[in-house]
Amino acid sequence: MTAPLVAPSTDESRSPAPVPRSVLTPRDALALGVQGLRGRRGRALLTSVGIAIGIAAIVAVIGISASSKANVLAVLDRLGTNYLTITPGQTLGSDEQAQLPPESVGRLSLLDHVQSVAATAQLGVTVRRTDVVPATNTKGTVVLAAEPDLLSTLNGRLRGGRWLDATPRDYPTVVLGVTAASRQGVDLSAGGQLVWIGDQWFAVVGILDEMPLAPELDNAALISTAVATQKFGYQGSPTTVYLRTSPADINGVRDVAAATADPVSPQEVDVTRPSDAIEARAATDSAFTTLLLGLGGVALLVGGVGIANVMVISVLERRGEIGVRRALGATRRHIRTQFLVEALVQAALGGLAGVLLGGAITVGYGLSMGWPIDLPVVGLAGGILAALVVGGVAGLYPASRAARLEPAQAVRPS
Amino acid sequence: MSRPVLEFVDVIHEYPGSPPVRALDHVTLTVSAGEWVAIVGPSGSGKSTLLNLMGALDQPTTGTVRIDGHDLAGLDDEQLSALRGRALGFVFQSFHLLAGMTALENVATALVYRGVPAAERRERAAAAMSRVGLGHRIGHRPAQLSGGESQRVAIARALVGAPSLVLADEPTGNLDSRTGEEIMGLFQELHREGTTLVLITHDQGIAAAAPRRVGIRDGKIVVSTRDGVTV
Repeated sequence: MTAPLVAPSTDESRSPAPVPRSVLTPRDALALGVQGLRGRRGRALLTSVGIAIGIAAIVAVIGISASSKANVLAVLDRLGTNYLTITPGQTLGSDEQAQLPPESVGRLSLLDHVQSVAATAQLGVTVRRTDVVPATNTKGTVVLAAEPDLLSTLNGRLRGGRWLDATPRDYPTVVLGVTAASRQGVDLSAGGQLVWIGDQWFAVVGILDEMPLAPELDNAALISTAVATQKFGYQGSPTTVYLRTSPADINGVRDVAAATADPVSPQEVDVTRPSDAIEARAATDSAFTTLLLGLGGVALLVGGVGIANVMVISVLERRGEIGVRRALGATRRHIRTQFLVEALVQAALGGLAGVLLGGAITVGYGLSMGWPIDLPVVGLAGGILAALVVGGVAGLYPASRAARLEPAQAVRPS
Repeated sequence: MSRPVLEFVDVIHEYPGSPPVRALDHVTLTVSAGEWVAIVGPSGSGKSTLLNLMGALDQPTTGTVRIDGHDLAGLDDEQLSALRGRALGFVFQSFHLLAGMTALENVATALVYRGVPAAERRERAAAAMSRVGLGHRIGHRPAQLSGGESQRVAIARALVGAPSLVLADEPTGNLDSRTGEEIMGLFQELHREGTTLVLITHDQGIAAAAPRRVGIRDGKIVVSTRDGVTV
């Protein structure tokens, strides 16, 4: 302290040495805050629950969506992003669907840097579980003619059975997509099964795994082009061409793919990169995620109001303590600090519990989905920080009320 | 006469209102180091106002109050708080021990705002506990202590900082008469050891223990005796 406590007095002998300022070390302030909560354990616990729920919700939403994105990227990593899908677009000047020329597959496969090409063609026949199911009841399953190298081109996997035979045996063969198999009620583990395609029986020899890069195959029944030509008069005009390039040259291939597929009317050809769409979808936060984050925010807010509420009551109850501390030398600032630290400690405990809970939810959900776990450190630190901010704001009002209390009134027996 | 630790010079204190309520009316009073003074008066006499001013908990409307030589006039909250913490020790009627702490921690709290390190706080608090005869109760919580023991802890808390002046406000008011006598005996001992004491009470019998008695009524000092002699 630089200024003397008293105005200079004429009587020199009476001028006392200045009184050293009262202090409250940060360590003592923290100890006081913790002590204040220890005295009211049950209440502090209940009050922290609100904060914990809010933080847990926010951390879990951040963690789960990050893990989901990590999973998508891992899947793309495995499948590769070097695919193009070539489909017929709109014809100019009419609403008719354009067609790809039959020789487009051969031309595309001759392009530099193209590693593999495979096509499918939709056939005008239906697939049914048995011949007595009405022809209109297709359950959305389409019948596609597929070339034998489709599976290897798409890096696809079979969930069960085998891929299409090169040479037919007793029955012509069909491979079902994963959705088609479940909708048609085909289960290979129950033994060999037949489905009715067009006007004859086909043997189901395999079921595809999910095809993230070609989701249109999930609800499809695939038969070989040879069989399609022989049984259903397939003309060789593909509806989708799948193309795998060397990863570095995909943009160059993309630029020329349309003109290569149909040199006469390249504007009637659509070229897309399915991995782009998947990445974009993964990067966009769904409305559901936003809703959950909002709910977490509301819980956090309610938790903050809870802390403020309980602290106001606590200040009223602890008038005596405040008065004693003021009598023992605490300044208004020290009282304010004490109650603010108490609110912060309480919020921090809630925040910590929330981060642990949210982390546990993320890990549990991620494991159950078979995802890689991704818990962003920023999200965890942000959770604690958000709790502290809420606690600080919640503590401001009660702390200033405590500080304003007149010590003379506070110590009077009520 | 030794150094004055408490000086009231023509102090008036009024509480706002219309008309203002005059709680202290031209009070002049000096307490010197080593004295034991009892302030006696019925309720409404201005005792509590006097205590608030003595305790640097309030400011006089006019007049001068000096505590340990420091004029209260012109001191801000920081400085008043520091003065309370350094120069004064308080003993309250209802003890005001903090329920969440042990007796020792309660006593040690008096040194927190002086920045005394925790280990030294405990040491000095233990010594103060021994001094009031409670060396064996340091780990107990206030709820586990009797009224007399609680007041002893409160006295230890008031003494631990070695203040210039100990203010006791009806210290026996919440105690049975036997325990009250024990507490008065403790004050007697402290006085003999040189502690400056101001005891505020409405009870003439309690006040009789003090060598110097100051009677207050309607905000005025009406009688002042020292060792039975009116001065």
